[in-house]
Amino acid sequence: MTSNNHHLEVENVFLSFGGIQALNDVSFAATKGEILAIIGPNGAGKTSLLNCLNNFYHPDAGRILFENYDLTRLPAYRIARIGIARTFQQTALYTGLSTLDNLMAARHIHMRSGMLRCLVYWGAAHKEDIAHRAVVEEIIDFLEIEHIRKAIVGALPHGLRKRVELGRAMALEPRLLLLDEPMTGMNQEEKEDMARFILDINERSNTTILLIEHDMGLVMDIAERIIVLDFGSKIAEGTPEEIRHDQAVINAYLGKASLQ
Amino acid sequence: MNALDTLPKNLLAAHKKYGERKIAMRQKDRGIWRAHTWTDSYNQVRDLCLGLISLGLQRGDKVCIIGDNDPQYFWAQLAIQAGGGVAVGIFTDSNPPEIQYIISHSDSVFVFAKDQEQCDKLLEIRTQIPDVKRVIYWDDKGLWSYDEPWLIDYQELQRIGQELRMETPDQFESTLLQGKGDDLAIFCYTSGTTGEPKGAMISHVNLIAGSDSAQLADPRLDSDEYLSFLPPAWITENVLGLTQHLRSGMVVNFPEAPETVQENIREIAPHALLFSARLWENLVSLVQVKISETNLANRLLYKIFLPVGYKIAALRYEERRPIDLFWRLLNALGEAALFRPLRDKLGLVRVKSAYSSGAALNPQVIRFFRAIGVNIKQLYGSTEAQVHTLHIGDDVRFETVGVPSPGQQVKIAENSEILISGGTVFQGYYKNREATLQALIIDEQNRRWFRTGDAGHLSEGGHLIYLDRVKEMITLASGEKYSPQYLEGQLKFSPYIRDVMTIGGEDKPYVAALINIDFENVGRWAEKRGLSYTTFVDLSQKTETYSMIRQDVERVNRGLPGPARIQKFVLLHKEFDADEGELTRTRKLRRNLLYQRYQTIIDAMYSEAESVYVRAAVRYRDGREGVVETTVRIESMDAEVIAA
Repeated sequence: MTSNNHHLEVENVFLSFGGIQALNDVSFAATKGEILAIIGPNGAGKTSLLNCLNNFYHPDAGRILFENYDLTRLPAYRIARIGIARTFQQTALYTGLSTLDNLMAARHIHMRSGMLRCLVYWGAAHKEDIAHRAVVEEIIDFLEIEHIRKAIVGALPHGLRKRVELGRAMALEPRLLLLDEPMTGMNQEEKEDMARFILDINERSNTTILLIEHDMGLVMDIAERIIVLDFGSKIAEGTPEEIRHDQAVINAYLGKASLQ
Repeated sequence: MNALDTLPKNLLAAHKKYGERKIAMRQKDRGIWRAHTWTDSYNQVRDLCLGLISLGLQRGDKVCIIGDNDPQYFWAQLAIQAGGGVAVGIFTDSNPPEIQYIISHSDSVFVFAKDQEQCDKLLEIRTQIPDVKRVIYWDDKGLWSYDEPWLIDYQELQRIGQELRMETPDQFESTLLQGKGDDLAIFCYTSGTTGEPKGAMISHVNLIAGSDSAQLADPRLDSDEYLSFLPPAWITENVLGLTQHLRSGMVVNFPEAPETVQENIREIAPHALLFSARLWENLVSLVQVKISETNLANRLLYKIFLPVGYKIAALRYEERRPIDLFWRLLNALGEAALFRPLRDKLGLVRVKSAYSSGAALNPQVIRFFRAIGVNIKQLYGSTEAQVHTLHIGDDVRFETVGVPSPGQQVKIAENSEILISGGTVFQGYYKNREATLQALIIDEQNRRWFRTGDAGHLSEGGHLIYLDRVKEMITLASGEKYSPQYLEGQLKFSPYIRDVMTIGGEDKPYVAALINIDFENVGRWAEKRGLSYTTFVDLSQKTETYSMIRQDVERVNRGLPGPARIQKFVLLHKEFDADEGELTRTRKLRRNLLYQRYQTIIDAMYSEAESVYVRAAVRYRDGREGVVETTVRIESMDAEVIAA
């Protein structure tokens, strides 16, 4: 169980692949409703950390606590059910399905009707389907993707696919949202839209958000706190302002140049 | 009940007539078309209006609205007007300084702003618009956490209105009935190409006159469906959308989002549509692209039946001949196999009135849509006098913008300027006496004429031909004005003419033209007729080619006043070439250079010569230079065509 009102606590996590130490004694905590960013040079262990958080990897040592659960002891399929959702660097959607179907598929974990009832599609199963569609339509409205509701995801441009993937994560109604580079490959306008959506999700449902992103300007704008990783170790933690002036960060992350 | 001379009075009448029994508006929201009855509309407007009055709205106050096409936009506008105010529409893509200018210049005291995006712009300029008491938003997304009492929610305003209604239940209707037809209804700010935008003041009777005129030309029924997607800050949506809705009872549908308009058009299949010329053209290319991507069977149907459609359309609209049984049968097959499915894809299944505005529409586009069963008509108008002219019924002519809309008078001034008079002529520009005096002329009979700044002339049959802006016109030796762009544009509507340069001016006795044939199309035409030719030079100088192009010149000449008609033309022995600097890369003519290069030919066209010998250096694609020697024929148009 987490202590001190922490929503998520990462305690002394170690992870290695053969001789490579991907995560080396990483510890940090996030409070409920916080936007926390993880930054660091390529290969610093950011995605590995996220993979541990949704139980894709199992840490060699250490604990990860989320609400009442110790994630390291849970099987991976339980992660979505306890309220954690994520998006990926390379979008991982059903490319042959429409936007709507992708989002409806994510509602699956919230569905109660059994297979037989769904086959009959009458009464409770029908009602349930309508209720889920209503939730999905709210998300479509929220993310302003009405115009691609029926479009096949595989044919969508990258920026919109990223948005659909965020929508799918939202459809799980998570309390912790993990975003792995949600803005890569986007133009400035798309990035600003995405930043606005992230802030709005956080504000509307008090969702805790953990975000990896390379665009420093945007990270500094939307994150409340930032964690800096380098070679698998946490080298700094603080508000954007503190990180901007942290000498260790400047040296490791940006070479000798200033963050300004 | 007094006369229905304001928009809110028309709303009240429609509410009493239809009540809960008929749908007034529909909007797609969360994937479902949601309907509002007339009573619902009326109640929305009532509560908003009382809310505004509670917050201090006075008669004559101005209120800005900035937002997309939503029922809330229309309700807000009617609420402002019911309270005696003037609604000032602002385009949604305006930036903060533009918004600030319009709010300040119009002395607005409230602003309706759709969403977070617009509210953020207003917050940015807040200190510069101190007279704005409140900003009312109707889409609260992202605004939940704004701790800013200056912004209030639409529903909160209605709640305030409901409180006032508890105290004084009759106030809304009595306030509404105080309105007079001559009261100002809206300001439309026109984007001036030079200087600051001007606020055209439009009264209630102006809007109603415009709507009634449209109703005479092309009646809307209360069973008609309309899709509102033109910017609501624009005069057109105010007249043909909102006012027409209130007067005729037609159902107004609102798109789910600006990006879904095309999809929503298909779902609604509206009875009336107005697109820009560009949009119609895009639709044709869209169809062609989609057809080329579709399966073999569909491509085959398209190949077989589209020519049938063209044939029928030509018989019906251009040759005006009866259609025999054989073609009718084929057409019925085409209708089932191709035309109707195609119209369905484009949302044109029920369209009775399809209009194009803006630039002149290419006849090829008009022919295409006629072939699939949609007769597109041109419409010409302005913010200040609404719809000036339009094509009515089947009387559609490619070269004109139609006849005066019922109740409108069109007059051509001495400088060729088009003047408009009628019930739609606006009340002047707000706080700009100088511009108002320039734009309005009052004649001896005390009629008010709006000076459009456009040049044109009336042709036989009362059709108006739009030429160009007055300042773009060139004066001919006879003192008449002519527009090279118009003339060239009209000629280029022929598939056989690729480029044209017309020559004329005060130093030239008449208008002449240098024409480039379209090698590919003319070549195909020649092959069909069994005409043999060798090169471009050979094809261009054939007698048959000359007589065919001559028909196009005659067609264009028919629409022109005598002195502006083309008297002589040549078919050039070579194409204008961008590589030789004769055209810009976007294929615009480099007139001065062309003038120098073709000096000999031009001079010959102003002499008695019937042909001219040319010897010109040409540069081939591979860089070699060569010399072309040939004789170019000069074609003179008949005297009787030139006269008249």
